[in-house]
Amino acid sequence: MNPDFAAHIAQRDEILAHIRGILIDDLCMERELDEIDPDTPLFGTGLALDSLDALDLIACLYSRLGLSLQGASAHRVAMRTVNTLVDWIIEQQSEKNER
Amino acid sequence: MKGEDQARALRHSVALSSLTHVSCMRLAGVGASDAVTRLCPAELFLRDGQMLHTLFLDDNAHVVADVYLCRDNADFYLLVEGLSGDQLEQYIRGALPPGAQVTLDDMSAEHEILSINGPYAWEALSKALNPEIVSLPYMSFYNMEGYTCFRAGKTGEFGYDLMVPADDAERIRSRLLELKHVFDMETADLEALDQCALENFFFNIRREGRAKVTPIELQLQWRVSYSKDFVGASALKDHKQAGVKTRLTCLLADSSIQIGDEMCHEDRVIGTIVNAGWSGVRGDFVGMALIEVDLAYPGLKCFTAGVGDGAVPVRTVSPPVIDNRSLFVNPQLHTYKTRDDFDFPPLC
Repeated sequence: MNPDFAAHIAQRDEILAHIRGILIDDLCMERELDEIDPDTPLFGTGLALDSLDALDLIACLYSRLGLSLQGASAHRVAMRTVNTLVDWIIEQQSEKNER
Repeated sequence: MKGEDQARALRHSVALSSLTHVSCMRLAGVGASDAVTRLCPAELFLRDGQMLHTLFLDDNAHVVADVYLCRDNADFYLLVEGLSGDQLEQYIRGALPPGAQVTLDDMSAEHEILSINGPYAWEALSKALNPEIVSLPYMSFYNMEGYTCFRAGKTGEFGYDLMVPADDAERIRSRLLELKHVFDMETADLEALDQCALENFFFNIRREGRAKVTPIELQLQWRVSYSKDFVGASALKDHKQAGVKTRLTCLLADSSIQIGDEMCHEDRVIGTIVNAGWSGVRGDFVGMALIEVDLAYPGLKCFTAGVGDGAVPVRTVSPPVIDNRSLFVNPQLHTYKTRDDFDFPPLC
């Protein structure tokens, strides 16, 4: 496998594991890690998180990864699914590294 | 232009549809609760007036229907895509133990389901029928005077399905269409609704649902529980234990992709496209493919769809591929008339 390709997958897997860990350990979802599919919606249907869960999730992203979700538009788009959250984290980490 | 007009209405204003493909069954009797517990793969934590988006599986754990289960006091409504009324009754009776005290009432013949979707669907409905509709929470329903309003939808926008008596459907449709010019409303067909579902990664039983796979490949594990018994439960557990080979993945392409196209990576077939369509709103093709699970990740630009000279590059992405206007429209602040006074983010 092409090394860039493998690195991309490894990076996503690592972040995905972090988010699944937050959902299970901090938000107390009664699910196994592999039962949280990457494109599962976080709110409404899917994992059906509520507004308090959203605050917990934002707090955990800050305490575990040092990332701060700011701005209503950014929230709504980044927190649609597990994978959109992974995308947002990758983008933030990349911006951090460029600074 | 017809398709483009429908897409515009669904994504920017309001569209009215008739859901003739949805079967509606009412389950009543002392055994109704046990019956839906046996049928439904998800845990049932449903209060009166709440809806649950679930599935029906066959004995091999393959998905056979996309289901809204709705609790109405001690009874239940099932709004089902993928099974006709007769097939649904057969499926339910096949799953119940002999002597189950349940009555099945196929409501499809005597009712029509009108669906109103769009970022201002709430406003159109509140003006045409009942102002209280605005306060109806997502995934809940309410029995209004003469009809039932379900707040659900599979477009990513505000969505309401009205189950109305067939002999009153024309009157209600006409009342909604009286507002056609106020809301630039269009009538949207099933193809337009399916395209919206695709752009928002809502499961479609008529497309990827034909692939004969389980909720695991389809990324629908949130709709199932591994700790209860239901039709297909043991096959699903076995399948999970054995490990799945493919996972549904969202794609974008600048050239045409079609259902059935093979997905390739470095001249090797890695999957098949199971849903595809032109997005007039985005200006490119959107698809879903079942791809080898080790390669089923967003953000990859190294795949092609189709074979030979017809192969086109595709890129995998995280769905939804639309930043729905409904995410930003607030019924307490916005109206269709004043929409241009606000700086909403672009749809993509």
